[in-house]
This record gives sequence, structure tokens and C-alpha cells, in this order.
Amino acid sequence: MTLLELEGVRKSYEDEDVLRGVSFAMDRQDVEVIVGPSGSGKSTLLRCVNRLTEIDDGAIYLDGEEIHGIDENDLRRRVGMVFQDFNLFAHRTARGNVTLGLTAVLGLSKPEAVERADDYLDRVGLADQADSYPAELSGGQKQRVGIARALAMDPELILFDEPTSALDPELIGEVLGVMRDLAEGGTTMLCVTHEMGFARSAASTLTFLDDGRVVERGPPEQLFENPREDRTRSFLGQLTDLER
Amino acid sequence: MTDGETATPGSDPTETRGTTVGDLPGRRRLAVLAAGTVFWTWLLARWAYHNSLLDGLFTALGFPDLIRSERGVRQREGWIPAEPFGAAADAVGTVAAALGPAGVLVDWLRWVLDLAAFATTTAPALASGAFVTVYLTVLSMLFGLVIAVPLAVARVYGGRALRAVSLAYTELIRGTPLLAQLFFLYFGLPLASIAEDVGFTGQPPIPRAAAAVAIVGFTINSSAYQSEYIRSALQSVDPGQLTAARAVGLSKFQGIRYVVLPQGLRFAIPGWTNEFVYLIKYSSLAAFITVPDLFRQARNIGSETFQFTNIYVVVALFYLALVLTTAIAMGRLEDRVAIPGVGQSGPRE
Repeated sequence: MTLLELEGVRKSYEDEDVLRGVSFAMDRQDVEVIVGPSGSGKSTLLRCVNRLTEIDDGAIYLDGEEIHGIDENDLRRRVGMVFQDFNLFAHRTARGNVTLGLTAVLGLSKPEAVERADDYLDRVGLADQADSYPAELSGGQKQRVGIARALAMDPELILFDEPTSALDPELIGEVLGVMRDLAEGGTTMLCVTHEMGFARSAASTLTFLDDGRVVERGPPEQLFENPREDRTRSFLGQLTDLER
Repeated sequence: MTDGETATPGSDPTETRGTTVGDLPGRRRLAVLAAGTVFWTWLLARWAYHNSLLDGLFTALGFPDLIRSERGVRQREGWIPAEPFGAAADAVGTVAAALGPAGVLVDWLRWVLDLAAFATTTAPALASGAFVTVYLTVLSMLFGLVIAVPLAVARVYGGRALRAVSLAYTELIRGTPLLAQLFFLYFGLPLASIAEDVGFTGQPPIPRAAAAVAIVGFTINSSAYQSEYIRSALQSVDPGQLTAARAVGLSKFQGIRYVVLPQGLRFAIPGWTNEFVYLIKYSSLAAFITVPDLFRQARNIGSETFQFTNIYVVVALFYLALVLTTAIAMGRLEDRVAIPGVGQSGPRE
């Protein structure tokens, strides 16, 4: 069943066209991975889905409903986001990061919020760090708090904007591990990432975006083994070479 | 401050940094705290003595007129006798005279002792002036903060119209002299007579009309400066913080309230301290609209005694004590509200 559908999405800044008509659809429980060179519009695309960026043309449907007809705060409650730079609330503990949305947006009481926050921190393996401030956490731990923060809102879809790009290599594994668990648990995920191992093993669909357009889209095996487009082959080839 | 001394948990003896007075190491820190304790104990006792606090107590006990009629007298009544200092000064003066030209240096000591004798006789009046200075400053800072926060938020996050209004207010207030603003409020707009007509001043907790006008003036003035400090602090909060708040589903208002302000206001404390210290001194302008603050008391004493040098030295020490106290207290506040990674006093690692 289709959860998210993009139809001819266009976005330009000044006179630079970032998205030139992007269309695709994903189902519930899908893990969609978007790859592409820098400047190809991947992050912009994600930000359009939760309306941190407004599109110029086209339409985006969430569960059949055009997102511009949904209250933006309501939309963002339903569509979580995990950031490249974590963007944890610096003045709140790990637990406080998770509870803020629960109390301020969902209207949970404080004890309910704390209980739920601790539950989700436990799921990402950070039960013992609940009282730590972001400055006291490693990059990998911060990103796992970021995931718990998004997850605790019980969203229909979570956007991952290069969640491991700002991490030291030895910390990437713990974050990808959490993401794999989510994928297996049936969380619907739209991920921009350069982690080809994750794309190959966890993605249900892989989309190659270049210059604001979807160049090729399909099951990951197909794009890795048998791409139709030369551009896909050379881009994915470069990335997989890097991982050897 | 007096209760602050007990709250110095585990100060590191090897600590040598000293960015504010409160951070001074070991013995020097103790000396500063001891001097502060003596000064504030004395000052608070004086305030209790010649302000309405004791009046209230005696009234409650059934002696309503015991204190009230004598307040004017009590405000001049010293607790520390001046005579020993005077006598010592005379003795040193005699010695200095006997030494002839070489006695010039000894004569300095005589001046210091004379100054001490003078200080003991004038300190009670200055203490009552200090009370006015402190409440003018503290109230104006707090009221100013209440106005400054929305002003700063409007400057940083408001739409075009809000930004313009906030900018216009800030620049108008910062661009005109504070004394002119006070005169405008006091003599131009007859704010004082309005306040008196309303019958809203004069009761013990509510200051005399002129003081009320001064508080209004300082509040308006200070809010403009405070909003500039807070604006720059808000702008130093990573924009990703508000983005993340919005992405969780918080409204812009909620994001500012729960995420940006708690961080921005922590960053603003050093600048805010600066404004606080300025206002303590600028509040002396209230003397020119007849408010009996620290400076006006000093000026009056000067014109009665003609000892202008001495009185301005003594009053300078009063201002210095108030300013140092503020600096130490705000440094403590900054440390107390500091969160790992968000605002801390002292040098960065």
C-alpha cells in the first residue's frame, strides 16, 4: 500500500534548479535508499517531504493526502527526521531530547514521556546514557539519540539525511546496526546515504538521483549488478570501490 | 551575597585562572569574600534600620510611631564612631608637621585617616542612597529583560514588520541620551504628577513618583541594550537546533521557547552582566530628576561639607562594591546554569 508518493517535484533556488521533476512512490515498510553525487538534490528532496523546504511545483502525497493540505506541525509529527549533524537539543539530556516532542507535540504527561523516552533509548542501546548531555556523547551515540527522538514520536515514515556522514569510521557501524534493526522491524524509511553495504542489504528499493532527476530506480541487486544507465554504473562503481 | 559564601562546593586549590573576581584562587578569594560579607552585612543592617522594614515590625508590635518620626535622624546616625579616626589623623598630622618637608609622605596617612573619619559619618546617608540605587537598577534590569526578550526574538525570528518595529525601538532608544530620556519623561511628559494623581506612589513598597519615573526610563533604556545582547546570543545558537525542533513537530513559537531561548539566554549572561554593571552606574542620572540615590546623597553631602574629593572617593568605593558584587554573583549564576556544551564562564578548553 502506497505511503508516500512524489509527482513531478520541482525546486529551484535563485536560478539553480535543484529538483527537476522527481517522481516515485514507496509503500509502507519499504526502505528506500537514495544515492547520488553531492549537489544532486538528495537532501533537498528529503526536506521537501516534511516541508522544511517548500516545493515549487508538483505534488507530494502522504497516505493519499497532499501534504500541503496537512498542517505542517502535524505532518512533521507523522514524518520523522534524522539529521546528518544530529542536531540534538544541546541543552537537554538524551532523555530530554526524546521527551520534548512527546510533551510539547503529543501532549503526553511528563512521567509518560519519560517512560516512553527510556524505552526508545533502550531500543537504540543507550539506556545508561539517558542523563548525558549531547556534549558528553560520542557521535555514534548522538546519532542513536537522534534516531530515538524521531522514533519515539511513532511516525509513519522516517527520513534519514546522510545519518553516518559526520561520523568517524569506527562509529558508523553502531548507527547502521540500529537502522538495520528498524528496517527489519518494518519501519518505513527514506534514506539518503553513501553506505553501499546498507543499501545493498537493507534497501527494498534503490534510487539513483543525479542533477535533480531520478536516473534509475529499482531493487538494489539490479542497480548494483545490472544497471541500465552508464551513469549509475560509474557512480555505484566508484562508491563500492571505496568500500573495498 | 551573604548566603553565596557557603555555596562554594569543592573549589579546586590548584586552580589558578582568574577571569572574574569570583574565580580568584585560595587566599585572595577568601579576602574578597570576607570584605564582601562585612560590607553587605553592614549595608543590609543599615537598610533594615532606616527603611520601612523595621517600621512594619514595630507597627505590628503596637508601637507605630517609635521609628517613623525619627527616620530622618536615623539615616544620619552612624554606628562606627568617627572620633578615633579623627584623633589618629590629628596625631599623625602633628608628627608630619614636626618632620617638616619630609613629612609629606606621612601626611598621606593623615589624609587616609581623615577620609576614614569622614566615611564613618557619611556612610549612613550613602547606605540609604545605595538602597535606592540597588532597587532602581534591579527592577529596571528585570522589567527591561521582560521587554528585551520579545524584542530580540522579533529581531531574529519576526516577519518584516515585527523586525522593523523592534529595530526602530532599539535604535531610537540607543541613539538618544539617557539623561534626555529621563528629562523627557519627568519634565516633558508629566509622568510624575500623573503617578501622584493616581495616588499610586508614596506607600512604602511603591517608590516616590520620581523614582517610579526613573524606573520607567531605565527600563525602556535598558531593554534596548539588553535586546541587542540577547539578539546576538540568539544568533549564536546553531540554526540546526530550531530546524530539529520544527522537524519533531514543534511550532516555531514552541521551538523558540523550548530550544532556542534556553540556549540563547545562557549565552547572553556575560553581555547581560555587562549591561547590569553599566546600569548600576548610569542609574546615577536619576539624581538629576530628584531621586535620592547614591549619587544624589553624595552630591548633597558634598555641598554641605565642601569635602568634594572625599565624598566622591567614598561614593566611588560604594559603586565599586556594588559592581564587584554583581560581577561575582552573575559569574556564579553563569556557572550554576551552565550545561555541558552550552555556556560556561572561564576560559574555554
